Amino acid sequence: MADSDSSEHAGDYVLYCDRENWKDLEPVPQDDGPHPIVQIAYSERFRDCYDYFRAILKKDERSERAFELTADAAALNPANYTVWHFRRILLKDLGKNLQDELDYITEVIHDHPKNYQVWHHRRVVVDWLRNASDEIDFTRLILTHDAKNYHAWQHRQWVLREFDLWDAELDYIDDLLEEDIRNNSAWNQRYYVISKTSKFTDEVIAREVSYTKEKINNVPNNESAWNYLRGVLLDTEMYKYSGLMTFCEELFSQSIRSPHLLAFMVDCYQEMLNAKCEDKEEVLAKALKLLKGLEEEYDTIRCEYWKYLSVTLSSKYAGKLEQSSS
Amino acid sequence: MAGPNRHEFNWKKHVRFFKMCLQVVPGRYASMDTTRMTVAFFAISGLDMLDQMDAIEKDRQKMVDWIYSLQYLPNAARSNEGQCGFRGSSTAGRPFDPKESSRNPVPHDSGHIAGTYSALLSLLILGDNLSKIDRPAIVAGLRKLQLSDGSFSATPEDGENDMRFVYCAACISYVLDDWSGIDRPKVIRYIKNSLTYEGAFAQGPGLEAHGGTTFCAVASLVLMGCLHEVISPSQLDRLKRWCLLRQQSGFQGRPNKPVDTCYSFWVGGTLQLLGVFNYSNNLFNRGFLEETEDSVVGGFAKWPDNSPDPLHAYFGVCGLSLMSEPGVLKMDAALNVSERSAARLRGIHSLWRDSADGGVPPLLPLEHTAFLKRCLMALPSAAATADASRSPPKHILDSYLILSSTGWLWLISVCVALIYSITWMF
Ligand SMILES: [Zn+2]
Repeated sequence: MADSDSSEHAGDYVLYCDRENWKDLEPVPQDDGPHPIVQIAYSERFRDCYDYFRAILKKDERSERAFELTADAAALNPANYTVWHFRRILLKDLGKNLQDELDYITEVIHDHPKNYQVWHHRRVVVDWLRNASDEIDFTRLILTHDAKNYHAWQHRQWVLREFDLWDAELDYIDDLLEEDIRNNSAWNQRYYVISKTSKFTDEVIAREVSYTKEKINNVPNNESAWNYLRGVLLDTEMYKYSGLMTFCEELFSQSIRSPHLLAFMVDCYQEMLNAKCEDKEEVLAKALKLLKGLEEEYDTIRCEYWKYLSVTLSSKYAGKLEQSSS
Repeated sequence: MAGPNRHEFNWKKHVRFFKMCLQVVPGRYASMDTTRMTVAFFAISGLDMLDQMDAIEKDRQKMVDWIYSLQYLPNAARSNEGQCGFRGSSTAGRPFDPKESSRNPVPHDSGHIAGTYSALLSLLILGDNLSKIDRPAIVAGLRKLQLSDGSFSATPEDGENDMRFVYCAACISYVLDDWSGIDRPKVIRYIKNSLTYEGAFAQGPGLEAHGGTTFCAVASLVLMGCLHEVISPSQLDRLKRWCLLRQQSGFQGRPNKPVDTCYSFWVGGTLQLLGVFNYSNNLFNRGFLEETEDSVVGGFAKWPDNSPDPLHAYFGVCGLSLMSEPGVLKMDAALNVSERSAARLRGIHSLWRDSADGGVPPLLPLEHTAFLKRCLMALPSAAATADASRSPPKHILDSYLILSSTGWLWLISVCVALIYSITWMF
């Protein structure tokens, strides 16, 4: 793809209207009517290239030169889905080498890693090749530049699923979380991989809870880890989970006041209240105290929310307390 | 909060920014070449939200004409309905005259679901009565775009499918007041499957929860009128919590990501749809938007000290609308237009419904057709037990009344006359 770099220089780029092998084709200007809106001040190169793209499309010309033109058109606007769609038709019709196409789209994605169309193109090419041997490394490389690139994760999940490549994924996630414990995309991928492979059996839950506890111990105020912990215990009563309340209370006793810790404890207390625990008054008082802390000191940006939760909790459980004590 | 140093947003500059978007944008916007319709929507709805439609009054009809020129109309045989909708721009080379382009279609050219969504809402805001929309064709086009997993693609040609297009499909159906283009159980299943362990929605099953896709999912459920049927109270509680936790100063789209202007709408709008926007913090939210406002050229940027763009300019204004900022109209968050425009739409709906009742509807309501068929089939036995007074049985009368009020009087009269003449023959 060294060629495409040199063609970026205005010097040796020849407009389509000046090319000998395009003389037979009448360019088709955009027909935007007498009063177009949101007009784009196209560059000369853009206008020229798309005039010929329209001409090709109108004829539905399935030719080598049309194929080359789609690369220029895509470089000028990688979001033009018609260009990519037509290019795929040409790939098939002309029997192009798909490995070359994969190399080409690799370059394009490096230049435009957050574009929907280029990732879709890659997926189709990989699907046609039925060979995903480059995909794990390729997405890893993209994620090195931006570990939270949604498109890269989406593509990677598809590849894992479609080509059954789960084996090394948890190790990779460990590496990513080692690098950045706050990488929410990596936490999500962890959840995804487990739900598609071993599933959340009791042993896996135990393993994941202790893994997450360790990560929280290192960095307590990390929402991603707390969200993961809740996710792992989604179908469980968290307050009953062995050692979890103690874990929270220990963090608390170490003067940790992360809003995520406090909110987690509140939710556990609420579970206890729902389960009609023994010492309701005491539990409710603890929950309300934590909520007060969140409201007034530790998460004041959401003070209205924590206040609302206090009111909800009081009216829901204090009423019942009075009833049962009377 | 309204202290003496309260920042004033520069509405004049924002109006100018949106007007500029509607005229000519610089060449660096070339990546928006296929989505000019959506840029137009941001600008038009932005002006509406600022109650400044007068600023484009003299160009209103021209804009309406331009938008309609991008409608992909069915051919005479209506064999291409699957491609119908609105294109996002004229870049694929369709002729300006829609009739001409339906006679000589450009290969590989079709409507695009986001183009259709943007066009319908823009027409509505511009005061058009949507009478030149080929509604059945658009609904047929929509039907073609739904995949087996319930999600939607954007075009009938190949392309990606996700929650964005689910939202477009829901909005289009809502605007057209016709849900027959969507298989609802399927799309609801897709939305439910995209609810993640974090308690919010992703672009699709297994993917990461995200502020933008969460809005798309929640707004779709609201437009379908089934949010509380589909999402349990405890799931709603978690969803509210997740959305509220997105606020740092402005809002972020995912945990541990930087805040960004557009999430003041994506997440703020979701909070409003969930009825808990009042628990977010306006002072911080507004403060962040003050920082991303470009008070020189107008508009809002994604981040402070960045260049403004149409999307963030629009969603910045929407974010302020949700906070009831003076000078900005209140918005209908699910539909993503001002409440005023949403009210206009309901007016258009009642006209459509009235005319469907008063005029000749396209199809006889199914249950009545079936009922009349049964009456005719049952004639011999009915005749045998016909009561002496020969007054028509009550259920036939009911059906007659309902149907006559829907403009099918003539057909019913024929049927009833037929029934009686046959009965009298016995
Ligand atoms: Zn943004």
